[in-house]
Formats: sequence, structure tokens, C-alpha cells
Amino acid sequence: MTMRLDRRFDRRTFIKLTSLAAAGAAGATLLRGLPAGVPAARVAAAGTQHISLAATDGFTFARGSVTGPGTTSILPDELAPAPLTWWGFGFRDVTGLTQSQTQAQRGKFQASAPQIYVDQYVPALANDVQISLLNLGMMIRPDLTDAHTIHWHGFRNALPLFDGVPEMSVAVPIGRSFTYEYRPRDPGTYMYHCHNEDTEHVSMGMTGIVFVRPAQNSGAGPIPAGKYVYNDGVLPSNPRSTAYDREWGMFLSEGWAQEHWDGAHIQEHDWSDYNADLWFLNGRSWPDTIVGPGGGTDASGDLVAPAGHDELQYNPISSLVKANSGDRVLLRFVNLGFQQHAMTIDGLTMRVVGKDATYLNGRDGTDLSYLTNTVYIGPGESVDAIITAPTVSSETTFLLYNRNLAYLHNPGEAGRGGQMTEIHVFPAGTVGPQPEPNKNPA
Amino acid sequence: MTRLTSTRRRLGLLAAATLAMSSMSGAATVTAVGPPPSGIVCTSDAGTNPSFTLHATSGYVSIPDGNTIYMWSYSDSGSTAFQLPGPTLCVNQGDNVTVTLVNDLAEPVSIVFPGQTGVQANGSPAEPQLSGTEVTSLVQPALPGGGTMIYTFTASEPGTYIYESGTDPVKQVQMGLYGALAIRPAGHADWAYDDVATKFKASTEYVMLLSEVDPDLHQAIERGQSYDFTTLHPRYWMINGRSFPDTIAPNSAAWLPNQPYSAMVHVEPYDAGSNPNPALIRYLNVGGLNHPFHPHGNHGRVIARDGRLLEGGAGEDLSYEKFTVLVGSGQTWDTTFKFTDEEGWNPSTNPIPVTIPQPQNIIYKGNATWYSGSPYLGVQDELPVGVTSFNECGEFYHVAHSHALNEAANYDAGFGGMLTLIRIDPSGGC
Repeated sequence: MTMRLDRRFDRRTFIKLTSLAAAGAAGATLLRGLPAGVPAARVAAAGTQHISLAATDGFTFARGSVTGPGTTSILPDELAPAPLTWWGFGFRDVTGLTQSQTQAQRGKFQASAPQIYVDQYVPALANDVQISLLNLGMMIRPDLTDAHTIHWHGFRNALPLFDGVPEMSVAVPIGRSFTYEYRPRDPGTYMYHCHNEDTEHVSMGMTGIVFVRPAQNSGAGPIPAGKYVYNDGVLPSNPRSTAYDREWGMFLSEGWAQEHWDGAHIQEHDWSDYNADLWFLNGRSWPDTIVGPGGGTDASGDLVAPAGHDELQYNPISSLVKANSGDRVLLRFVNLGFQQHAMTIDGLTMRVVGKDATYLNGRDGTDLSYLTNTVYIGPGESVDAIITAPTVSSETTFLLYNRNLAYLHNPGEAGRGGQMTEIHVFPAGTVGPQPEPNKNPA
Repeated sequence: MTRLTSTRRRLGLLAAATLAMSSMSGAATVTAVGPPPSGIVCTSDAGTNPSFTLHATSGYVSIPDGNTIYMWSYSDSGSTAFQLPGPTLCVNQGDNVTVTLVNDLAEPVSIVFPGQTGVQANGSPAEPQLSGTEVTSLVQPALPGGGTMIYTFTASEPGTYIYESGTDPVKQVQMGLYGALAIRPAGHADWAYDDVATKFKASTEYVMLLSEVDPDLHQAIERGQSYDFTTLHPRYWMINGRSFPDTIAPNSAAWLPNQPYSAMVHVEPYDAGSNPNPALIRYLNVGGLNHPFHPHGNHGRVIARDGRLLEGGAGEDLSYEKFTVLVGSGQTWDTTFKFTDEEGWNPSTNPIPVTIPQPQNIIYKGNATWYSGSPYLGVQDELPVGVTSFNECGEFYHVAHSHALNEAANYDAGFGGMLTLIRIDPSGGC
């Protein structure tokens, strides 16, 4: 489940509105004579953008097997109810859920955390962002009293109160909620995570992606309304444009099976022994990365697993990319692991247009974007890369994978695993408009 | 994890409180002779032919978890005290620099100056020392037992540079034989490079020298035992030879006699009229791992790497803003940093549009906080009874740390290691 722009709209209304806006933009595009494939418009709504998150623990699915001292199975953890395999904690999106639905999510976090996307603040729209965090406490470790926070990583000129570092301001105790106030003036790709006992809370799963859509999406002078990464100030036909048709967050993280087992079994560990043995793309390892997304929430507020994949109920975010020839596909890479990663694609070229929520543009307007087939990215960095899908006569598959081949692996499993997914390119006109980030049309 | 019944408290939290208070009172009322509480501490020599004498020697540093580590380092001849890292050498572009190395250790030691050209050693070109195909040293070393070697070079390009041992560097650099060299552009002490776009506020210039320590290596060397470098496994993570919370202690803190350099950043909000120039932060990575360093509060603008201004062949500005700088092993990165009170929130005229919960519904972690009790810059408000505040006048604090979060720890204890604080005072200071 992903964030809505405004809680006043339900999903159905929202899709209808964006479809109408898309149709309008297509018309405008034709009038201006711009090339086909100009993206659908995303016009920002007025009013505060509300999002509600809950923090809690639970079991999710990590692929592979790890045996500890003796014959103890570290992964899967025997405490995990099949088909789930390990314990952790993190966030859930509870925007729009009732109070009882929200409370029922205790012990049911998702990995990776919900994608948050919001519109850039525009004074005339008075569209501040407010994210409330409710700490639901721990189901499996009721002896733990961990507070939680939200740190919007990279937010410029942040106030300590809303920066989420508990030693510099405050944290949210169990059973309480706190509303973080943001006025996002700078579009781009960011990340968020809990900063309370950050080493542990980040590696346990309290990590996700957040991005800010630019005001230019509503159009700016001759620039038509559409989908852009930044306020680039150029027409979509300009090679420097950040216009795109489809977008995927590519959220990179790692797991240390021993740490998760230790946590569930009331054991301590030593951070200087950190030794990742699982690698994730949007909270899943290959080949789960190409399974479709989860199906939102059910009547109880619980997550609905992807069809045929009950094990991925709490790993709902898909990384399967589908696009038409000529589409501009935006990949928002974010790394919130502790290691550096080298995400590469054979046969396609990426244009890196942004880093760390900043358009790659010198103060004097110099173009700092560049072409590459490998995005090298450290912990706490983000990279915006656009692929133009090549012309194909039939469905063609490309792989996006970590060129650090040691990380292309699931513990105890033969063959490839870890941080890899597929990009499927189809002849023009095959794939319908993208309903939401990281999702393909039905 | 916070256990209901746990008595485990982070080592150093109380120590941190003491340090922060010391730092603050020092910042507000410094009158004594000595370095300012935070910011670069230059070892310099007036004139156009600056000369330095560095002793390669051994000593001990302290870690906030109570451990003591045996280190090697370069120490200034003006003091018999061991110090980690070596002195920050500041010279001007065009200077003819002489560095005399005196080797008080029991094996050959040298100094390489990456980024400098035309370096001479005892009057001959500095060059690799070979014994057959074995490289015994990257440059001519000083022999053990008080031997000397005189290195000279012309400081031709302004910027931030490392100096470090070139002899058995796998061991000697890990042991602590490193330091920073700042070359200032001719005629402009408050420019980072020979470009007005790199102008910074002179009182807000900082060095962040990043390093790692594997205590097993240091213990083996201290005991004269062999050590297998394929087992190298850092457990401590440092900025300027200190681990958090020691990083925020003032320069020359009396309780850190061998670790003289603070890593605390201390600025006031950007103001086009009264405070137009940013701080300068010089990052150097003398470790073997790359460190993704993330300052909270705002992006930094990367203006140079490895002592070279980011500009194109026709003078194009190639600088860019980052919220994390991935400083590679052996690299230096220069960034400018400023904080803007963007929204001008004010409790009466422009209040923040959310309700802040009552204190009983909030956690003040460990009952000790850098928070003022108020979200507004320059405003202090009540904190619950029993919460100790390190806040002086409503100033802001942000953390700045390695985002390889296993490095933001002291061995097994979190909120330590390669981490420091950025302090933002209200305009005009506290």
C-alpha cells in the first residue's frame, strides 16, 4: 500500500482524477506538437498532505537458510509462523484506516517501509506535509519499550523537533503518536527511517523511500503539466528534461540474519560484528523481486498478499519494471543499508539526472547529468536515473542487478539471489499508463 | 533495544553531557589563550618558507567506552605530548614547505604527501624505495632510533590534503601515522580555493579526518606480536582521532590530552546581510574503508575533491549539493555548509501548525537532551522534571555521522563512533 496525496480522496477517486488529468495533458501535448510519450500530468492538490504511519514489529519473509551454532536454524526462525521466516520491526501505512483497524496492525509491519510521495510545497496551495507516527509497541518482544521516530533523511534546513533524532529532540513512546510537520520546498528522492537506536532500528527494517514531486508537474509557462523529477525548467523535448513516464523506487538494504534471530530470542549482539548475509531490493530478494505488488488492505486493515504468494504478505513492494518502447523510466535508487552497492543494467543506459534530492545542475547552469550503466551508491545516498526504453518488436527482458556479485545471493540457496530484478520492454502501446509507482497496469 | 528491566545505559551519555556543557560555556565566553573550542587548529609557521618538525612516536588515546588504544602518530616538535592525528599543517599557496621527520619509533617511518608534486627527500626526488622487487617504502624513510629525513615541496595548489606514512603503510597508517595539510590560496585566507565562490566564514572552518581502529592490531603491535592483516576488523570509528561523544569536546580538552582536535561544528543561520558566508568542512579519509558521511540539518555543497576545485575546462561551476558525501579511502572532499532558518517559525507571529504533545506523551531519551524544550530557534521552554538539558539558549543541534550505521558505534554500543554534532546558534550567538 502506498501513500495517498490527500486523505480526502479514496483510491478510486484518486485514480479517476489522475486519469482525467492525464487525458487533459495528452490533449495539451498534441496542441503544442510535443512528441508522443509525454507523461501524464500530476497536478498537486490544495491543502495539507496528511500521512499516518504506525511503528511495530512482526514477521516478514527473508529467503534462504542460515544455521547457527549447533543445529539452530537462524533463518527461518522457528518463532516465525510459516510461510514467514524472520522477525523485525518497521512501519505501516495506516492512512485512512479506522482506529480499530490501526490498532489491529500491531505485530504486522512491512519491509521495506511504505513508499511516501508528496507534492512540493507551493504557498498558494498551502500544502504542508504532516506525517503522524503512532507507536504500536512490540507483539513478539513485549519486554521492549523502544521509542520510535521518523527521520526524513536529507530534508533541508530541518528543525530538530521534526528531524527524529531522539537525543536532539524527542521520540514517540509506545501508545502515543506525534505529528511531524514538513514544508518540502525541494523536490527529489529522499529516504526516511527511525533514528532511535538507529543502528538497530535501521537494520531491523524501519527504512523506506520518500520523494517530493516538483511544482513543475502542474505546468510552468511553456512547460506542460506532466511528470518530472525536478523543476528542470526545460521542455520535455530538451535532452536535459527530467520528464518520465513510469517510476520505480529501487530501495537497497541488507539483512544480518543473526541480528534478527538475536532480537526475537532476547539475545544481544555486537555491532562491530555486523555481517550482512541477505540483500534486498524494496524489501525482497530475487526472485521475489519480480512478483507483483501486494493488494492493499483488507477489511481488518491487514495487508493483502500478492496473488499466490502468501509469504510476501508483509513484503508488498514489487520491483518488476514494465515499459513500452520509447518510454522514459525513472529509477529512484536509495541505499539505506550499511554497505555500498553497484546497481548495473546490461544493454540499457541510464542518465543520472539527480543525486541526494538535487537536480544535477551547476550554479551557473552547467549540465552535471551523465550517462552510465552502473549506479554506485553508498548508504544514505539517493540517485535518480532515467532510462529511455529501446525500440523492440517483441517483449525483451533486461536485468538490473548488483555488480557486487557476492551480494547476488541468498544464504543457503543455489544460484542467484539478492538485489536483482527484471525490466521488460514491450512494443509501443502495449503497456497502459502506470497507476502508481512500482506498479504495472493490470 | 530498550528493555523494560534493563540497566544497560549507553556508556558516555553522562560524559557527553559534561563535554557538551564545557564546549558551550567555552563557546560563549572564551577569553583564555588557546585554540577556539571548535574549528580547525592550524600548526603554521609564518613566512614563505614554513618549516615543521614532526616526531614519529607512540602513545595512547582514549575511547568513550573506557578502552585505551596504543597508537603511533606524528607529533609536533613544539610539544613532547603525543597527539592523534598528527598536527594540521596550514600553509599558503606558493610556500616552500620543509617537513623534518624525526623517527622515535623502532622501525623506519616516512611521510608521503599525496597530491603534492616535486617533493624532495634530503634534497633528492622523493621516490619509491626498492629492494629487488620488494617496495620497502613509498619514499625515503627516516631510520629508527632518532633518524631524520627532510621533505621539501612547493605548495603549488590550494586545497585539502592527507599526509601519511609511506613505509609499511598497511600497518603504519592503521596505527595512526596520518594528518591533514591545508594549503590556502595566495592572498585569501578565507577562500578554500583560488576562486571567490569558495569564500567561507573564517571562524567556521572545520576538519573531519575519518579513520578506523582494529584494537587487536594495536594490541599485537604494542606487545610485539605478529598480526595477520587479512583479519583486519575495525571496531572503533573516529573523527579527528576521537569517537563520539569525545568528538564534541572542545579543542585541547584537558581530559583528552593526546586527542586535541574537536569535531564539533558551530554555526549561525545564513543571512544575506549579517552572515552571508558558509562554513567550510574539509573531509579527509585516512582509513581503508569508504565512509558515507551524512550531516543532518542541510546539504553540503561539494566544491572540491582531492585538493582540486570542481570546475570545468572553461571555468564551469561543477560543484553540487549532497546530503551524504561518500568519502573514499585516501580521498579528501571539501564542502561548504550553511543552515537557513527557512520558514522563520516564530511562536507568536508564525507558529508551527501542529500541536506538540505534552511532555508526558514524549520520550526524552535517557532523560538527557540537547533539545531546548521548544521547536523555535533561540527559544527555550520547560522540560519535564528530571530531564537534563545541555541546551544553552534555544540553539539547535543536529547530528552528523557515518551512515554505515555500524560505524556510528563504539564496539557494541550505539550512538558513538564516527558521529559528531552541528550546533546552530540563533543569529548573533547565544
